[in-house]
Amino acid sequence: MIYVLLYIVMLTVIPFLLMGIIRKVKALMQNRIGPPLLQPFYDFAKLMKKGETISATASSIFLLAPKAALSVSLVAAVLIPWSGITVPTGWEAATNFIFIIYMLGAGKFFSLLAAMDAGSSFGGLGASREAYISIMAEPALIIGIAALGLSAGSMNLAHIYKTGFSPFVAVLTAMAFFIAALSELSRMPVDDPTTHLELTMIHEAMILENSGRNLAITEYCVALRTCIFLGLAAQTFLRVSPLYKNLPPLTEFIIGIAALFLTGIFVAVAEGFIVRLNWRRVSNFAAFAVVLSILAALVAVARG
Amino acid sequence: MSNGVFLSGFSIFCGTAFLLWVLICACGLIWKKGRSALFPFITGAAGAILAAGAVFGGNAVFSIPLPWFLGVAGFDFLIDPLSRVFLAIIGIVGIAAALFSPGYLHHLRNRIPVGFFWSAFSALLLSMSAVVISANAVVFLFMWELMAISSFALVATDNESRSVRGAALTYLVATRIGTAFLLAGFLWAYKLTGSWAFSAWHISGSAAAGPALLIFIGLATKAGSWPFHLWLPIAHPAAPAPVSAVMSGVMLKTAIYAMARLLVINHIDFPPMGAILLIIGCISAFWGVLFALLQHDLKRLLAYHSVENIGIILMGLGIAAIGGQIHNPLILQLGIAGAVFHCFNHAIFKSLLFFGAGVIDARAHTRDIEKLGGLIKNMPFTAACFIIGSAAICALPPLNGFASELLIYTGLFTMAGQAASVGVRFGGVLIMGWLAMVGAMALACFVKAVSVVFLGSARSPQAQHAKEGTSGMAAGQVFLAAICVIAGFCVPQILKMINGILTDFSPVIPAQNIWTIPMPLLAGVLLLTTAIIWAWMRIASRKNPAKQFITWECGFGALGPRTQYTATSFVQPIARMFGAVYHYAVHIELSGKDRRHFPEKISAESDYEPYLQTRVYSPIVKFVRKFSGLFLSRIQTGSIHQYLLNMVFVLIILLLVVFHK
Repeated sequence: MIYVLLYIVMLTVIPFLLMGIIRKVKALMQNRIGPPLLQPFYDFAKLMKKGETISATASSIFLLAPKAALSVSLVAAVLIPWSGITVPTGWEAATNFIFIIYMLGAGKFFSLLAAMDAGSSFGGLGASREAYISIMAEPALIIGIAALGLSAGSMNLAHIYKTGFSPFVAVLTAMAFFIAALSELSRMPVDDPTTHLELTMIHEAMILENSGRNLAITEYCVALRTCIFLGLAAQTFLRVSPLYKNLPPLTEFIIGIAALFLTGIFVAVAEGFIVRLNWRRVSNFAAFAVVLSILAALVAVARG
Repeated sequence: MSNGVFLSGFSIFCGTAFLLWVLICACGLIWKKGRSALFPFITGAAGAILAAGAVFGGNAVFSIPLPWFLGVAGFDFLIDPLSRVFLAIIGIVGIAAALFSPGYLHHLRNRIPVGFFWSAFSALLLSMSAVVISANAVVFLFMWELMAISSFALVATDNESRSVRGAALTYLVATRIGTAFLLAGFLWAYKLTGSWAFSAWHISGSAAAGPALLIFIGLATKAGSWPFHLWLPIAHPAAPAPVSAVMSGVMLKTAIYAMARLLVINHIDFPPMGAILLIIGCISAFWGVLFALLQHDLKRLLAYHSVENIGIILMGLGIAAIGGQIHNPLILQLGIAGAVFHCFNHAIFKSLLFFGAGVIDARAHTRDIEKLGGLIKNMPFTAACFIIGSAAICALPPLNGFASELLIYTGLFTMAGQAASVGVRFGGVLIMGWLAMVGAMALACFVKAVSVVFLGSARSPQAQHAKEGTSGMAAGQVFLAAICVIAGFCVPQILKMINGILTDFSPVIPAQNIWTIPMPLLAGVLLLTTAIIWAWMRIASRKNPAKQFITWECGFGALGPRTQYTATSFVQPIARMFGAVYHYAVHIELSGKDRRHFPEKISAESDYEPYLQTRVYSPIVKFVRKFSGLFLSRIQTGSIHQYLLNMVFVLIILLLVVFHK
């Protein structure tokens, strides 16, 4: 029962809190006070109350996509391994990493279609770039997790993270995840989530037509995806750290959340120092993720 | 084996279906202009009988009794689990095509003789079914040629335009070249074993190199795998939509069937074959999707995706062959299951997508996606089915494409985990990443296709006024879309049927241990979550209902269809990233007085050079032409005297050769 409660807490509060922490840290680095930590949640509540405007050109896909993307992200968030939480028996097979990545891909498929649906060039531009970036990010994710899974001999994340992996592979894979996550989540240096110049945006350009409730669940979905990707990187680091040895589940859970927030702070600090890359050089940046994951695979194969 | 068992078990189903098809074939030839509804009905019914027999019937061995004989071997047939899977594919796509075709042919009614179409179509279905149950090389080649000829006739049905005639000829030449290699390979295998029966072909080691490679090239040409795929994107768009569906969905698979039977699970055991299949498969998958991204002709885009999917299937076969080499039954089983299941899935969703393209072609009178847009409003059925097909081909769960790709991923992962050599293991992980990249590119390509064709606003008047297809056309698509969903949920049952292929010569792990993902449960959870979110949105919208307004245009005034993102722009970043592979270039020209700030006219043009075509095949074709012009035209002058002289010379040379020995 406690696990169910933990899940619910995690899925409703932590994504917003994570986004709030990233914003706050960025603001502090720029000598601003910044918004309250729960501002993303307030925004969500406010948007839910507002009305929405839908483009006359858009079809039912536009309305369906955010809901489908959110439900896919929710299910994926439940399935990925969080420390302190055991996947219910019978569901281990559902934590197959290819399944989770492709399920997130299904969410992306609908989001891209929705971006193109209103017939606006901004949507098209964002969708085109998002599709382009995932060509680099997805191989990195899959090679990275496969490298982790080799020592467990399983493709189920539940087994992989229970059995453990070599620290070298873990560090390389976690770094690959981190870079792939920055690209997939449209954060700096690939995309600037705070900019207001549509031409330079990726994710914000995609959701330009969304408003009100539709925008609220889209933003929630982004927060959840941030949580999933950064969480996976954090968990990979955590499992090989010396801190993490036979603790009670609740402590493990709290350490896991703390690690997630630390990763968020790291993202914020990194965003404070780096600038957005020229669009043409984004592929070079994303290629680092692929190279790191290939190195992880090489180490995993050579040691095994 | 010659007779007696002719009417037993499965062969009753098979025989009935064959007789019905022969009947249609004959009636169609007699009554060329016939438009009777009996043609599609009987063709489809025969397909249904065949599919039912394949799923519920058993194995069988039978021969057509004498006097039917092919010179050196009889009409021997063998129905085993491998052929039954392919018979099921042929039957199911046959039913769907019979549902879809009448509506589509109505749109071509004045250009093609409908009776003749059904005649050739049932001949194609008949010959494909016969190919996958042939027990010896001679029957196989006979049926293989019947398949080539009937499909050539179908490609050339709508032969008023020059491009279709050219495409049909290209296709014919490609099939000739493929058969030439195949024939050489078969003869070599016959020479080594002294038998025409496939079951007697036990060749291994380096002696197998010659026949294995020749057979591989012959079959790869038919399957449309890189680098022998050039005919495929030319021939498939030229054919009527149901023909493209059957050719792309099913006919290519007969070559895969033969590869699986002869090179992977049977006895022509050439050790490097696994690596060859895997590498050619990787290149083919990448190449297909890369060129698909650049296509604006919807059917040509789909044809290039066939190259991609054939690549994925070859990867599965390669994994299986490697598994066989290193004596790992799990890898062998995963590879075969992935490849065969992907054959089935690709047949279903590719036919579905070609049907969608057919409806668009028939109703909007164009296949150029840059002239389409907004079709979802007038064609909801076609749009929904096309989106399901796209999601399935992009391997998105819970649809069927995901199941087979996951099996291939699992095969690669197992290879990476359990193979002895570090090279093979590292290769396994890398190819997983490669497959992920191909998958992401396919996703981009189908987002492009769906969104430019169905979403946004219409880019031309004919797209704006396009109507939904007939109920038969919708039924054909809904049937296949339903199978995409059902096959995604019934993976263990399907795997059980596929596992039958291996029971005779390799230990088999039960299907429920191979496929452990509780897909129906997960899909239920996903649906439930979506429904809850939807209900929540409904409740929230009570106070503030949604308003409709124009798309945001930055205050510059109304947006038009021309301001939408085009397919070319959508793929431009990806095309530029891989630009080195095909010399992608965009030329932009601005003209006017102050060109930079106030251009009067902007023209942009993108261009690419398919190196394989321009640098490899064109020089060969040029050489053949030149050679024929210089040399052959001196021999083939058209004068009967000279032909007689030639024959005398050849006779003398042959006699000399014979007596020299």
